Amino acid sequence: MQMERDISHVPTGRGDEVEIHGLAPHLHMTRFPTQQIIGYLVSLLLTLFAFALVAYHWLPLNLLVIVVVCLAFVQGAIQLGIYMHLREGRGTLWHLPVLGLAGFVGLGIVGFSIWIMLFKSGVS
Amino acid sequence: MKAWAIHLMKLLFPPRVLLPDIIGIDIGLTIAALALLVYLTKTHRWGWLWREWLTTVDHKRIGIMYLIAALIMLFRGGVDALMIRTQLIGPHEHFMGIQQYDEVFTTHGTVMIFFMAMPLVIALFNVAVPLMIGARDVAFPRLNAISFWLFAVGAILLNVSFSIGGSPDAGWTSYAPYSELAFDPGVGENYFLLSLQVAGIGTIATAVNFLVTVLRLRAPGMSLSKMPVFAWSALITSSLILFAFPPLTVAMGLTMLDRLFHASFFTVSHQGMPMMYVNLFWIFGHPEVYILIMPAFGIFSEVVPTFSRKALFGYDAMVVSLLAISFLSYGVWVHHFFEMGAGPTVNVFFGLSTMLIAIPTGVKMFNWIFTMWGGRIRLTVPMLWQLSFIPTFVVGGATGVMLAVVPGDYQYHNTYFLIAHFHNVIVGGTVFGLLSGMYYWWSKMFGWQLNQRQGTWAFAFFFAGFWLTFMPQYFLGFMGMVRRMGTYPAGLGWTAFNFWSTIGSYLMAIGFLIMVYNIVWSRMHPNWDTTGDPWDGRTLEWSLPSPAPIYNFARIPVVHERDAWWEMKLQDRTDEVKISVDSVEPIHLPKNSPMPIILGLAFLVGSIGMVFSWFWLAILGALGIVADLAYGSFADQTEITLDPHYIIETESALGRLQS
Ligand code: HEM
Ligand SMILES: [Cu+2]
Repeated sequence: MQMERDISHVPTGRGDEVEIHGLAPHLHMTRFPTQQIIGYLVSLLLTLFAFALVAYHWLPLNLLVIVVVCLAFVQGAIQLGIYMHLREGRGTLWHLPVLGLAGFVGLGIVGFSIWIMLFKSGVS
Repeated sequence: MKAWAIHLMKLLFPPRVLLPDIIGIDIGLTIAALALLVYLTKTHRWGWLWREWLTTVDHKRIGIMYLIAALIMLFRGGVDALMIRTQLIGPHEHFMGIQQYDEVFTTHGTVMIFFMAMPLVIALFNVAVPLMIGARDVAFPRLNAISFWLFAVGAILLNVSFSIGGSPDAGWTSYAPYSELAFDPGVGENYFLLSLQVAGIGTIATAVNFLVTVLRLRAPGMSLSKMPVFAWSALITSSLILFAFPPLTVAMGLTMLDRLFHASFFTVSHQGMPMMYVNLFWIFGHPEVYILIMPAFGIFSEVVPTFSRKALFGYDAMVVSLLAISFLSYGVWVHHFFEMGAGPTVNVFFGLSTMLIAIPTGVKMFNWIFTMWGGRIRLTVPMLWQLSFIPTFVVGGATGVMLAVVPGDYQYHNTYFLIAHFHNVIVGGTVFGLLSGMYYWWSKMFGWQLNQRQGTWAFAFFFAGFWLTFMPQYFLGFMGMVRRMGTYPAGLGWTAFNFWSTIGSYLMAIGFLIMVYNIVWSRMHPNWDTTGDPWDGRTLEWSLPSPAPIYNFARIPVVHERDAWWEMKLQDRTDEVKISVDSVEPIHLPKNSPMPIILGLAFLVGSIGMVFSWFWLAILGALGIVADLAYGSFADQTEITLDPHYIIETESALGRLQS
């Protein structure tokens, strides 16, 4: 899983080498990627479960929405934790504002869409 | 005149009325493809093509491939535009049937936005950004090639649709329910959905690539605040792409589920919500228009200082306004559907946020003007495009603010007023900007310059044609002509405006032809750029020979100031970019890889499977994708090392050894 080019060794002369360690995570090639594989399977299961909930009407609508949203958050946490190297020591601080921005935009989009769509009675 | 124009267009681009025509086109395309294959075999070009282009990961070559693809798409989209305008040249005109008219305007819009403007933007990012920040390539060169091939697959899918199975016909916005199976049977819309999804993956990858490149690979000493504004625009555009394209993918994906697997996300009769499609589309769509304009802003911020011989006025304000625009552009998308009836609260919020964007945009306008103020201006072709951009874009921005006035928009939403507005900003802003950049960096790409006189003529025709085409459309909008009308009756006062608008589009076509002539002529009578710095430039790309050697910088320059190369020239430090024979280190470069183009092929196969609902083929394609990714992950030799001798030889041939 060699990155295309290992940029962590490029001296920048800009005094931000610390950030670089955070950005290009060092993957230990020798270890079998158990975590990643489990993460992958769990993600698939979560998706299947959410799909089944909707397809087979297992829950009343209100509850369904809540449960599916919760599943989505679990799924997101798995992605961030396992694949996006959120837990890897150094550089985490540097990631926080970026993640915050992403969260802001993501939640903003969902929130605003719901707000806008609440008015759908005006259309139909 | 009118009859004559229609006659000529019919001769050139026989409108498709009956099936035999499609078969004719198919046969023609097949013969052309065969001829190309034979030519390549006869001239023994296969190896060359494979090694130098198809498997390349060099950002300069990828940039050139994007550029060529974008120009071809400009031709295709332009022909569609001429067909549209010919249909509208007079009342009751039936150059094409209405169904075909729908297909042509859909293809026109989609091709122009996704397969002309986007790749032209990415072409110039590839060509210029690594060079101007002092990098040897982008951060992820192989990913860069993957982006290109996925874009190519998207473009191929959309472009072949009309001859194999049917063209999409629900507009570039493809609103549900027009795009739903019940109202739009056939495979045309599937082509649209797959094409945008595949190309979208490539675009998102490009965004990641340039974010990391600009943040990580800058030359020593080049802090963010010393970075050229074009690199800033690449950074900000990339972050816009990163947030804007996923909603598009979702919208396309849900529509695809509706069409192929009978879901009902957007079907009212099954409690779906068609307006949700519109909402998702514009969460993408509005940032997208800024994705298209930011790079043009960046290009002008390079072109203006160079041809005014002055540093950019208000660098900080330029950067802050770019950031402000990108931030605001996320909070305005509802202005595309005020008429949904979300009510005054929602509409006023989004109307005001839209108008706010005019402020940072105005700041930029003034800064360019102040940069030129008192400067020594040279009227080169890039500068002509820039100068014409200023008044043009002001008109486009002003009409945008008019559209943001909610009660007003209820009157002219989806009329030709809107059409005029966005062509005004996209053609007059994005296309003028990108052509300016193309003329500006041409010698850096190819080593020879484009003839100035011919370039000026091309500009003159295009510019005149542009105003003649789009200004009448504002009036047509006020007079009630709605967009996407296939034909119109006489006696509404629309005839003259439409007629002149069509003539304007022919003038633009002539401008395009002169530009092609300009390119071909300059290729045959090359005016070699031997210095590498034909414009007396300011940024690092001009410190390199044209075209730059494969490794770009034999020696990575150390940056002390903004406009690093200009400062070196002023302070007589130009020797700093040359090498001395005894201090050359080996250079590591990424190695060519067949993996990206194979990935593209797998996506093509899989997409065709999805388009025609041949799921065995789709699965085959998916397996191909996984296999190719695995092959790519386990390839261990991903770099080549250039020997110092080779570097010294190359540099000395270019006359770049320190004395
Ligand atoms: C001050 C700047 C701008 C303002 C205030 C503005 C405002 C608007 C508004 C309110 C609409 C929706 C009108 C309607 O649907 O009735 C619109 C549509 C549009 N604008 Fe702008 N705009 C601005 C700049 C731009 C720029 C820079 C671009 C692209 C480079 C652009 C491209 C478009 C496009 C493509 C559409 C409509 C597409 C469609 O419906 O098919 N605009 N603009
Ligand atoms: Cu908009």
